[in-house]
Amino acid sequence: MFSEKVTLVNPQGFHMRPASLLVAEVGKFESTVKIIRNGNEIPGNSLMAIMAAGIKCGEEIEVQAEGADEEAAGRAVVDFIASGMGD
Amino acid sequence: MRITDLLAPEAIELGVSAASKSDAIEKLISLHNGAGNLSDVDVYREAILAREAGGTTAIGEGMAIPHAKTDAVAKPALAAITVPDGVDYEAPDGQPSKLIFMIAAPSDGEVHLEVLARLMTMLMDVDWRNQLLTAGSAEEFLKLIDDKEREKFPEEEPAEEAANDAAPAAAAAAPADDGAIRVLAVTACPTGIAHTYMAAEALNQQAEKMGISIKVETNGSGGAKNILTKDEIAACDGIIVAADKNVEMARFDGRPVLITKVADGINKPEELINQVIEGKAPVYAHSGGAGEASDESAENESVGRKVYKHLMEGVSHMLPFVVAGGIFIALAFLIDTIMGAPQDGNFGSNTPIAAWFKGIGGVSFGFMLAILAGYIGRSIADRPGLLVGFVGGAMAAAGCTFAEPAGQAVSAGFLGALLAGFAGGYFMLWFEKICEHIPQALDGMKPMLIYPLVGLAFIGVFMCAVNPIMIAINVGIGNFLTSLGNAKILLGLLLGGMMAIDMGGPINKAAYLFGLASIELGNYDMMAAVMIGGMVPPLAIALACTFFKDRWTETELKSAPVNYIMGLSFITEGAIPYAAADPLRVIPACVVGSAVAGAISMAFGCTLMAPHGGIFVFAVVGNWPMYLVALVVGAVVGALMLRILKKPVEK
Repeated sequence: MFSEKVTLVNPQGFHMRPASLLVAEVGKFESTVKIIRNGNEIPGNSLMAIMAAGIKCGEEIEVQAEGADEEAAGRAVVDFIASGMGD
Repeated sequence: MRITDLLAPEAIELGVSAASKSDAIEKLISLHNGAGNLSDVDVYREAILAREAGGTTAIGEGMAIPHAKTDAVAKPALAAITVPDGVDYEAPDGQPSKLIFMIAAPSDGEVHLEVLARLMTMLMDVDWRNQLLTAGSAEEFLKLIDDKEREKFPEEEPAEEAANDAAPAAAAAAPADDGAIRVLAVTACPTGIAHTYMAAEALNQQAEKMGISIKVETNGSGGAKNILTKDEIAACDGIIVAADKNVEMARFDGRPVLITKVADGINKPEELINQVIEGKAPVYAHSGGAGEASDESAENESVGRKVYKHLMEGVSHMLPFVVAGGIFIALAFLIDTIMGAPQDGNFGSNTPIAAWFKGIGGVSFGFMLAILAGYIGRSIADRPGLLVGFVGGAMAAAGCTFAEPAGQAVSAGFLGALLAGFAGGYFMLWFEKICEHIPQALDGMKPMLIYPLVGLAFIGVFMCAVNPIMIAINVGIGNFLTSLGNAKILLGLLLGGMMAIDMGGPINKAAYLFGLASIELGNYDMMAAVMIGGMVPPLAIALACTFFKDRWTETELKSAPVNYIMGLSFITEGAIPYAAADPLRVIPACVVGSAVAGAISMAFGCTLMAPHGGIFVFAVVGNWPMYLVALVVGAVVGALMLRILKKPVEK
């Protein structure tokens, strides 16, 4: 299983646009992607769940990926979050 | 930051009709403006449209949340509209949007993210969303939001600081996939008291720990609770069926379903949930389609209940043959007695008219075991079970064995017939399943050729094999009963009492079947004790109502005369309303009366060949004067017991 921590850098946190872009990113892979935040699992393919979590700028979260292409999926998601998700 | 603080009643409009996305946006902007939330309408509109140009803010499932963060916002606020006919908001799932919230956020601060998170947390509840859509007024709409907010964020303090911390934490507690419940589960155990609910509890707790939404249906002894809906089944990631008995499965056709033991639900909830959310549950294909639902629910009955049902199906079909045939045979004896014919081996057919009654009665009587086994078989396996049951029952009656395939003088009796009905029925049930695999071209031949042929071969071999044992048991019981002598009085006491204990229930039926089986063995005194035991309870109650009026309520007294008729007709069930009202006193009284009557009947060697009919078959009862005495004594004893046990009713 892929697992890596990453800090949210985009100033507005995980709002709707980055959340929907992330869901699209996750959808490119076969693996199941989860975001672990404060011990809670947030499914990486759920726009509503990600938004509902209301993750803020500067928070450290963990990305987990499990499946056939977990390495690639996890790497892509972590890089995407670290890049500021287009903000 | 509470939603209700941000959403003013004048910023809500329900039942809006919007032709297009821009229509809806204009509506919401004007609501914001009307509520005084904006410092510059045009700049805000630009920001909203710019945001939409960068990707739709519709989130699917009929919802959209347009938003803009700009200096043109005077104060953080929300506006909301419902569009009953929906509007095309370019949603990712293509559905028209019906519920639209527009966020106006000032460019400084984190209001935007918090409001979004909080709205999402609440909107994941599909039922609540639907309530919002059907709200009749802005006030009602706000009330729904207020209630939901209190429920979701109960720990909230009025102080904004505390709210800021509470919101994201509670929000993350129940993430769901686009508002749908991700994992569904059904738990069930055979008794339906403990394990069903332990498994449900374990799954719920584990899901909460993992932050995954779950709904668990419990199929307990009190029926199914928290039943999964069609929409939930269609929208979930997968279904866990943790059950040790059959649950309704047709509804899961084509969905990922993980079928396992109820114990796994208790011990390995995490494993089960993980398998479902990781998509490892196999897709369930239901055989036979939705039509089997009723069968499956019938299978929820306990084994004992099912056996009882099949048995009663056989008995109820057999009774008419036995009653009519038994009365005819008894009449034959009565005629010969009246005609003064010698009581020799030919007794009952010495006069031509008696011979006619005895012959025809015997034909009807002869069907007894075949009908019993045949309809037990049919009850179990439907039509294919009829032949095996009939033939098996007839073979039991004839006493067919490998040595004497055409039958012999001794019979395998009731027990043989019961065995034939059940063995044949369950064999055919199994064989029908096997036959599902044969080519469909042969389907037409199944009921006409394959089932009957294989069934006949099976039951032929089976009955010839077991008949020697059953015959030995049957003869043994017959010998035992005739050897009882005076101990028979005890048996009469017991049989009579059993008839009154549950008044038509399983104990009553067990005694009744024993009486029937004894008739078949040629012991007619058992049936006499059984019938009189069944006649006493309604009569005792009717007598007590007539003579001890202070023991009964008005309604009980009113329906009492009917119980005379019920009792005389051997319809024990007439006593049930009285027994149900005061079982601890009425039932013991009836049992005593019935037992006394049964013992007296047995003591005087009263006999009965017709297993039903009450007073109307007294003419054919052997030693009927004493039988009548037994009935009267039993009823009087029962009535006196009621007088003693029951307390006077305060009126």
